[in-house]
Amino acid sequence: MAEESISNGFVMNPVSGSNPPVVAKKKRNLPGTPDPEAEVISLSPKTLMATNRFLCEICGKGFQRDQNLQLHRRGHNLPWKLKQRSSKEVRKRVYVCPEKTCVHHHPSRALGDLTGIKKHFYRKHGEKKWKCEKCSKRYAVQSDWKAHSKTCGTREYKCDCGTLFSRRDSFITHRAFCDALAEETARLNAASSMHSLAAAGNFNYQLMGNPLDTGNGMPQHFSTVFKPISSCNDDAIDQTRRGFSLWMGQASQGQDSIGKSTLTLQEIQQFGSLNPGSIYGDPMVSTSNPPALDYQLNWVFGNKVSSGNAEDHQLTTSTSLPLSNVKENGPQLVSVPSLFSTQHQSHQTPPFSMSATALLQKAAQIGATSTDTSFLGSFGTKCSNSQDGNKYTDLYVSNTPTTTTLGSDLENSANDISTLNQLQMYPAKRRRMQNEDGSGGGGETRDFLGVGVQALCHPSSINGWT
Amino acid sequence: MKVSSAKVSKESKGHGGHHKNSLHSKRWSHHSILPLQLADQLDQWSSVTVDMYNNHHQPQTSHTSTSRSSDYSAGGGDNGEPSGTGNKWASRLLKECARAISDKDSSKIHHLLWMLNELASPYGDCDQKLASYFLQALFCKATESGQRCIKTLISVAEKSHSFESARKLILKFQEVSPWTTFGHVAANGAILEALDGEPKLHIIDISNTLCTQWPTLLEALATRNDDTPHLKLTVVVTANIVSSVMKEISQRMEKFARLMGVPFEFNVISGLNHLGELTKEALGVLEDEAVAVNCIGALRRVAVEKRPALIQMFRSLGPKVVTVVEEEADFSSTRYDFVKCFEDCLRFYTCYFEMLEECFTATSNEKLMLERECSRGIVRVLACDDDQDNEGECERRERGSQWSERLKEAFSPVGFSDDVADDVKALLKRYRSGWALAQPHQNETGLYLTWKEEAVVWVSAWKP
Repeated sequence: MAEESISNGFVMNPVSGSNPPVVAKKKRNLPGTPDPEAEVISLSPKTLMATNRFLCEICGKGFQRDQNLQLHRRGHNLPWKLKQRSSKEVRKRVYVCPEKTCVHHHPSRALGDLTGIKKHFYRKHGEKKWKCEKCSKRYAVQSDWKAHSKTCGTREYKCDCGTLFSRRDSFITHRAFCDALAEETARLNAASSMHSLAAAGNFNYQLMGNPLDTGNGMPQHFSTVFKPISSCNDDAIDQTRRGFSLWMGQASQGQDSIGKSTLTLQEIQQFGSLNPGSIYGDPMVSTSNPPALDYQLNWVFGNKVSSGNAEDHQLTTSTSLPLSNVKENGPQLVSVPSLFSTQHQSHQTPPFSMSATALLQKAAQIGATSTDTSFLGSFGTKCSNSQDGNKYTDLYVSNTPTTTTLGSDLENSANDISTLNQLQMYPAKRRRMQNEDGSGGGGETRDFLGVGVQALCHPSSINGWT
Repeated sequence: MKVSSAKVSKESKGHGGHHKNSLHSKRWSHHSILPLQLADQLDQWSSVTVDMYNNHHQPQTSHTSTSRSSDYSAGGGDNGEPSGTGNKWASRLLKECARAISDKDSSKIHHLLWMLNELASPYGDCDQKLASYFLQALFCKATESGQRCIKTLISVAEKSHSFESARKLILKFQEVSPWTTFGHVAANGAILEALDGEPKLHIIDISNTLCTQWPTLLEALATRNDDTPHLKLTVVVTANIVSSVMKEISQRMEKFARLMGVPFEFNVISGLNHLGELTKEALGVLEDEAVAVNCIGALRRVAVEKRPALIQMFRSLGPKVVTVVEEEADFSSTRYDFVKCFEDCLRFYTCYFEMLEECFTATSNEKLMLERECSRGIVRVLACDDDQDNEGECERRERGSQWSERLKEAFSPVGFSDDVADDVKALLKRYRSGWALAQPHQNETGLYLTWKEEAVVWVSAWKP
């Protein structure tokens, strides 16, 4: 049974080498996989819905719960013997759903708890009599409704771009149009690739090139992962991240060693050397605000890269394969390599990134601490140009405007500039083109507002980068 | 600025357009001088205008106003207007002017236009704004320059539009007002119910809300039940929306659908001269698809006489459901009666502007842009002949009951379920007070959104 329980949906934390934790606590089976020894009870809908199932044998009074019945029986002043319950060992009871079309109608999927079967019956097959006043969501079970009412409306939704919403529908609509969406897809694509990697149990990078299967299998995954956006439990971002850690955990299970999770600049350059221009014709990058990388992206690639440690040399080739596959199959991992490579690109990338890179390189050479504000919207690209590879991860981590836990200063300035950039995208573009030959700092690189760089950036945070 | 009343009328004509935007002043220069005897008529209006003028503190208020007011102070308070309220002056003046135009009373037309010009401002309060936009339309009507004006307005609008600005505008509008989201929620509810269980969905979207309706539908498709159907969305674009905006939108929709895990296909059909040209083949409707036709503010853009054909075309697509959302106003049955049409037009836009005023902050840029968007519609309805090709567009709204009559030729109404009605009510609760859901009268169908008890938007669902 222990094996059965483990395979039944337990999430294992990646523990290298040790046995699974000893099952001291009561094991939880998959709902509806009952003990084969149990007695199967089939109740009619009428009985199921009856509220007073527990009858006093003395006076025939009915009670909703067994405890209530016992309390009542005490009042009858029964002699000692009869106070006890019947001596015979009560066989474990499981209940089937009376609804014929239901999965739980069959004894093999019976549910173990009377309350459980009652709730199930109401939820799935019953009339939804209870309605939330605030959001008009309907429930068949009163306790569900009560639980919902407590949290309804109290929950806030947060988009990757940092905006808060109290309304789910406006959050969803915003999300769909938000520039931060670009990054999300990248994360998703990469993570889902990890998922299939783990499932396959090998390092076939070719899998990455497979078209993202949006058949029924995947959607479940996505829907579940993105439920935090719509559920009422935790902050959307946190749960999404947790979701990804889940995937990471599974992924690493299939791998021999986790290895280091940071990417060295060299590895990134390997990524970057692949010509992104030919890989993606996606104008998304040029038009949307170049999103800063969420550190999770780093995790994803960290795992993938490190798992190929033994084949480091092949890393370039193997990764180039899926990426070129991507080209044929459509832009899947598009955003990811582009994010890495925008700073390294060459002629084929949109002019925006090109001049950004040129200037960044120049800036790096000069070791300027000031930055052109036109780059601040592309924090990711800027920081990735740092010479210090070890700091890479940190840079990415601290740079993301969406990460609430890190570098709030940075985040604020990033947000401001991102928004500014967003609004002034076109003038900014032109500016960069003109400044291509200019130095990284100085008068020429005054931003479109005519404000100097320092005014917009927190010097402390900039210094922290170099 | 001269002091004598007689001369003032002449001089002020020259000044009248002076501190307005250049468009106005250019137009004025073409006009004849106001006849002297109009000074008397001006006196009639004087107290009204003087009080209003003083009350509104126009930025253009210069010495001209004070000298004028001192001239006319004699007439103060005589014509029964409560001095100092200045309320709804725009409505009165505008209606008077419309009547004058209908009567072809050119001198009256002139001086009313001049007066409105003095008082109007697109940056003032509701009255001033309405005066400004309707003045433009009345002027175009009087000078038969509607077409030209429309062309100018369109080119100006196109220059300033971008995906970013359009997105910001509509999302902000939807955040503060359920004007558009009302129709979205109801239509989505009807579509989901009608297409429930179908594996391949094809929605034909003809709307003016830039696909903001679809993210919530996609989310519902993804989370509703275990089988997520395949959705094909075909968006029909009318001339107004620039193609680059649609390109951005399509990318976002595709990405979002991927995020939601909904198999998705997005197509855009543009370059149509008018909607009636659409065919089943052009839309790419396949045999195994369950079709829904979604029209938000779309039917009114079709020329009045072409509307029956359009509805028949929809029928030929064999849809499972047709959802129609339109604003509640009648500029169609009165299109040969200028004054009546004008009155309803004024009523509708007054309601709209007041709604914007209340929902947005005073200095909101989005509010300003939404108001500006109205200018083309107003000029089209009031100053353009339907026979001419108004850049292929029309704006003759009809009321829900009128649309129902048309739709009944090919479809039968579908009521909205209680669940959908609940969803709509819950939506309205999320906004400020003043909004309500109203059921239609006895033999009518659909749902109405009301703002301060006045029906403003109508939504309905139809099946073959």
